[in-house]
This record gives sequence, C-alpha cells and structure tokens, in this order.
Amino acid sequence: MSAYHPDDMTLINYAAGSSSIPESLAVAMHLCFCHDCRQHVKNLNHLGGALLETMKPASTDDDAFESLMASLERQSHNSPAKVKMEPTPGNKVMQHFTNPLLRYLPASLADLPWQNQTKEISKFDLTSLVNVKGFQVALQKISAGAKVPRHTHKGFEYTVILSGGFSDELGVYHEGDFIARDARHKHSPTALQNEDCICLTVLNAPLKFTGWHRVLNPFMAWS
Amino acid sequence: MTTKKAVSMNDSTAAHDVPDWGALLARVAETDDKAAFRAIYQHFAPRIKAYAINQGFSQHAEVLVQEVMTSVWRNAGKYSESLASVSTWIFTITRNQRIDILRKLNRSRAEIVIETEDLWQIPTEDTTICSIQNLSTEKFVKEAIDKLPEEQMIALRKVYYEGKTHEEVAEELSIPLGTVKGRLRLSLQKLRVMFEAKEI
Repeated sequence: MSAYHPDDMTLINYAAGSSSIPESLAVAMHLCFCHDCRQHVKNLNHLGGALLETMKPASTDDDAFESLMASLERQSHNSPAKVKMEPTPGNKVMQHFTNPLLRYLPASLADLPWQNQTKEISKFDLTSLVNVKGFQVALQKISAGAKVPRHTHKGFEYTVILSGGFSDELGVYHEGDFIARDARHKHSPTALQNEDCICLTVLNAPLKFTGWHRVLNPFMAWS
Repeated sequence: MTTKKAVSMNDSTAAHDVPDWGALLARVAETDDKAAFRAIYQHFAPRIKAYAINQGFSQHAEVLVQEVMTSVWRNAGKYSESLASVSTWIFTITRNQRIDILRKLNRSRAEIVIETEDLWQIPTEDTTICSIQNLSTEKFVKEAIDKLPEEQMIALRKVYYEGKTHEEVAEELSIPLGTVKGRLRLSLQKLRVMFEAKEI
C-alpha cells in the first residue's frame, strides 16, 4: 500500500480524460499499486457516468442510426467479429489494473538495456513512446544507496516508484508511491540502502542542477 | 453503510422509467439485437453528442458519436455489471475515444506510441460482490452531486465535462481564479468524504 498519492485534482483530471498523456501514464502506473486510488478513480468514473446521464441531450441527425447500422454491416464482412459474450470474469477480476508499459518494454525491468548516465544512475528512455512535445519520460535506475545530484525543476516532475525506494529532504518513499515536485522544490534523492531503486519519471521541462553539478545540465537530464 | 435518506420525488419516479441497460447490452452481445441497440443509441447518442460539442468537437461531434456507438456494438459482450454501470461504462468509452481521436489528429505518421487503452483502463474490482455495489454506487453518486451547491457543481462540470482549464472557467464565470480553485477543491473534498463514508 503506497503512502504518497496523486492529489484530488490530478485524479479528477485523469478520470475526466483531460490530463496529458505523460501525466496519465504516471497516474496509471500508480493505480497498479494503489487500491485506494483505484477505488477513487472508479468513483470519479461513476461521476462521469452520472454527469453523462444528466447532460442536456443534443439533437442527432435523423438518419444517423441507420447509417451507423449500414456501416457496421459493411465492416462486419472484413473486420474482426464482435466480441462474444464473456463468462463472468473470475480470475480476470484479480488483475485490477495492468501495468500500462507492459506491452512496450522489450524485457523485464531487471533485463532492460539500461543506458548509464553515471556509474550509479542509468535510464531507459520512454520519451518517444509517449511522444508529447515538452515532456521527457523515462525509467530511472539508481543503485542502492546512491545519490542523485541536487536539482530543481523548471516545470514539474512526477515520480512513481516501481521497485526499491528513495528518500529526499521531504520524506522516504517506497514502491508504488507517487511523488509530485515542482519549481519550488530543490531535492537530492538518495536510493535506499538495501536495493536498487527503479522509478518512472515524467518531466515537463528539463531539470536544473544546482551547485557545482550544474555543469551536468547540458549532458544529463534526469529523465 | 449510512442510513437511507428520504428519496426525492425525482429519484423515485426516475427509478421506474429507467430501462435495464445491462439486459439490453446483453441482447446486443448475444443476438445482435438491433432493437435493443437502437434503444441504447436513442438514449446515449444525444448525450455523447452534447459531450462532444462541449469538448469542442463542433462539426465532428457526430464522428465521436459513431466511434463510441461502434465500440459499444462490438464490445457489448465485454460489458459486465461487475465492472461498472452502463452509463459509467459508456462514459469511459466516450472519454477514451475522444482522447484517441485527438491523439490521431496530432500524430504525423504511424509511430509506436502507448495506446490510450493502456493508460485509461476501467479499474476492476478488488472484491467479488461488486455488481450490486456498482448499481448502488451509481445511484449514490447521483444523489451526492445533487447535494453539492450549484456553484461548485458548475465549476466541476466545466472542468470534468467541458475540458476547461481553471483559467477558462474563471474567465467564463467572471470570478477570480482563486475562487474557481476553491470551489473545485471544496467539491472534491465533499465528494471524497461522501464516497468514503459510503465504503465503510
């Protein structure tokens, strides 16, 4: 059970479908770990359903239904058949929420072709998978006990911990935690001692390293 | 569970008129029942269209309606009362198709990008006694939003349903940005409290 969650506004923007793709990826990843937030998103989806019901209906074209049926019949000849009635989900219910990256990673987290950034920090870039201008998205791996140089953010940074954990000036974070940081925060995360920390990071502007580490700025983006 | 409050006249009359959408969907899935599908279409298509117009689809609103209803026809067999009520299920399809259409418009070529469906899944239940729970949740949510003050509901609806930013809502309602944020925060807190009270 994670201790750090997206705030209400982030969850409602996600449920409403108005958050960006990279932000939504971070929220979706957190949902894999967090029963409470899944429950809340489910409630917010119900809110969406209830609002849909209370919407003032718009007039539709008279022949819209007939032309839809005609096109469905045309399509049924050359496209996959309709989904057949599925038996009451038994085991399926246990899946809860699938890792949104599952289909896109070439290997398990341990075997990914990680790119070394420094001796202790490596990344697997996902920016092109998400492909939204202005966002950098990556999986990051910090060796057990290693410290990321102190940095601040121009925009915001979302971090979701997939395994291990880290600490910074504001707290200690574990698997599943969702951490939001913005320009007000300067921090230097340190991986917990016992195992490597792997997390998903979503950044909407390059970060700025502070102190002498600023020489890293052009060469190493924490994402 | 909290004790039942007296139901308002509106609710009690509505309860008798609402068709069993789940049963209609099952007929669509099992026997391609066009009459059942037409009933679903006649109720939901005008609402999906209103949603599309609010989201700025204007002349393409009908495109979203057709995409959503095509998906409802094809995937009716996937619907299960244990996942959500029908209106919630159709809302999630509508939301995802809207995102998908916008993403395709902005995509220059066939790239491998993460699918909308992977990002916006319908969360499944952690318990097995969910279908009854879902139906009562839907009714509960309707009652909950009726309890929100009008001004909070308007702000929430604009953000949730019209995809407006807080700044745009402030401008439209001619109120300060801080007031918009305050109303949204209050409405979300109230909903969360009501949701949580129900789960106990």
